[in-house]
Amino acid sequence: MRKRPDLYTNYKSESAIFSTLTQKVWFVLLLFISLLLPFYLSNYWMLLVTTSLLIAIASWGLNIVSGMAGQINLAHGVFVGIGAYTSAVIGGVATSSVIGFELDMIFWLPISGAVAALIGVIISPVSARLKGLNLGLVTLAIVFIGSHFFSNLKFITGGAGLGRKAAKLKFLGFDLDSGISIGNLILEKNDVIYYFSLILCILLGIGAKNLTRTKIGRAFSAIRDRDIAAEALGINLFKFKMYAFALSSFYAGIAGSIIFIISGGVEPGTFSLLYSITFIAIVIIGGVGTVLGPLYGAFFFTMLPGIIQVILHALGVADTGFFLNAGEIERIVFGFFIIFFLVFEPRGIWGIWFRLRNYFKAWPFSY
Amino acid sequence: MTIFLQATFEGLSLGSVYSLVAIGLVLVYKATDVLSFAHPALVVVGAGVISALAVDRGVPFWLAFIIGIIATGLIGLIVERTFLRPMVGEPVFSVAILTIGIDLLLRTILNNWIGLNPRYLGDPFPSFGNFGSLVVNGVTLKYLELAALFTAIIMISFLTIFFKKSKYGVAMMATAYDQEAALAQGINVGRIFGLVWLIAGVLAGFAGFFITGGFNTLTQTSFISALRALPAVVIGGLDSIPGAVVGSLIIGLTQGYVAYYQINIENIVGFSLGSGFSLIAPYLIMFFILLIRPDGLFGREEVERV
Repeated sequence: MRKRPDLYTNYKSESAIFSTLTQKVWFVLLLFISLLLPFYLSNYWMLLVTTSLLIAIASWGLNIVSGMAGQINLAHGVFVGIGAYTSAVIGGVATSSVIGFELDMIFWLPISGAVAALIGVIISPVSARLKGLNLGLVTLAIVFIGSHFFSNLKFITGGAGLGRKAAKLKFLGFDLDSGISIGNLILEKNDVIYYFSLILCILLGIGAKNLTRTKIGRAFSAIRDRDIAAEALGINLFKFKMYAFALSSFYAGIAGSIIFIISGGVEPGTFSLLYSITFIAIVIIGGVGTVLGPLYGAFFFTMLPGIIQVILHALGVADTGFFLNAGEIERIVFGFFIIFFLVFEPRGIWGIWFRLRNYFKAWPFSY
Repeated sequence: MTIFLQATFEGLSLGSVYSLVAIGLVLVYKATDVLSFAHPALVVVGAGVISALAVDRGVPFWLAFIIGIIATGLIGLIVERTFLRPMVGEPVFSVAILTIGIDLLLRTILNNWIGLNPRYLGDPFPSFGNFGSLVVNGVTLKYLELAALFTAIIMISFLTIFFKKSKYGVAMMATAYDQEAALAQGINVGRIFGLVWLIAGVLAGFAGFFITGGFNTLTQTSFISALRALPAVVIGGLDSIPGAVVGSLIIGLTQGYVAYYQINIENIVGFSLGSGFSLIAPYLIMFFILLIRPDGLFGREEVERV
């Protein structure tokens, strides 16, 4: 067995979360490294890693509805926004213009996910009736309707251009906004957010992987591959499409509830069409329908500005008025990556990794 | 009554502008099976070219106008040749997402050029009459809006004749009906794809001028107006050209009426709808029409086989 890692003698071992010993070893190794990261990386890189983890969670959500269940969703960013504002209302501070209840994180974290999921369920009667492009266009409508609500419900969001402060970081009564010290171990606020994100990322990542092994996950794949055939097999399309939207929105809500604590505030203009498209691009660049793909995609997306800066500095054009600024270059590179991955490698970064792995797996017979 | 007529006129004029974009979208969808999210970008790029030539370079406006519209058509052609040709036969969804990528590219470059200040297109319409408008029975008619209405009527009649009478128009219809059968009949399907994008680009160029011309100006958010042609297409049905026109008029009129009657509507429903509600009303209309008719008002219901 040890020399034939691809040999599965029963279904259980084939569908295991970590099907080979190598994967288990890598997982434990990565877990160990990521636990130690805050002690070795600078603050700047810690912020990037934390953002990547949270964006990965949101992208897993989109991957559930689009990659696994095959339903287009152009409005994923709106659900991230719903999560962000729910947490800001429940966990944030009230001012003269916005409401806030300053509750504990154990309240606002699950409620943010639940409210986003609820909105997903509310719109699912429309989305379950439609499919393909019409569904995509309805979700496009949700982006604009969502933006309208975000900028007009001023007592929740603070209004367009102004925004409000994000939720307070208070967990089980401990105020973590100014960091925490256990013995002579001092964790700053950013490190605390990082550990929360890491735990959530692991839990929700395993959840996403586990979903592919359950009845619901198999129903999702059946709907994606051929919805009529799935219906003929006795899968209730309406119910499972609703589940897909609810689960996807739940992930988005959880990610959204924490992601804006990093920057401290949240402004309604953030949740534009571009924000939603970002998640689509991350899933496509990472690899549609896989669990690792969105994680790669999220890291790629978050690190891209840094990489571009490094390249610009290396070329010596960082400050000398190159005709596009860094943000614009980033968007153009992003647009090109969407196009090139769709044309040349529809399985995304995961697909490249997959081919590379298979190449060396069969070494020296590389065919 | 005057307000009603004013709203109707503005709605019809808006609807005719949307119909130019919407017809392009439907043509592209019918002939090449691509739903183009890149159209809003084409619309603003056309306006950008006109503005760059007429205002920045001092080219006579009408020459700049013609060059701008032809350039938009050519950009459509280039987009099809470079990015969309390798994707023929791929899932509709992937190609739609790919056009989002194209949209991102075009608009980023254009926004960099537009900058923060609004750009004028240098057209003579604002100087006609009283600040570009004439008043008939208390209703203010802008020359730009009148021109949009007439252009749309002329383009739609021209296209109708083109599809009925000309060789390429008939070939386009055949391609839309069945690509492979059309190929077997000796139609150069590749050329038809290019031609469809060229026509769609030209229509987008016209729409771009009417959306951003006069006092409307070209800004970084102008493309959102063009994006409202998408609900118009969905209301009419993705594969119906008459549907696209009807859908556009519904969207335009909705937007016009809501803009003028929002306070009355708010009094009826009893709560504030928020500023800029007229801009999202089209999307709400689309939402409800799709709930009742998932294929749009004129769309053909797709027969699916397992």
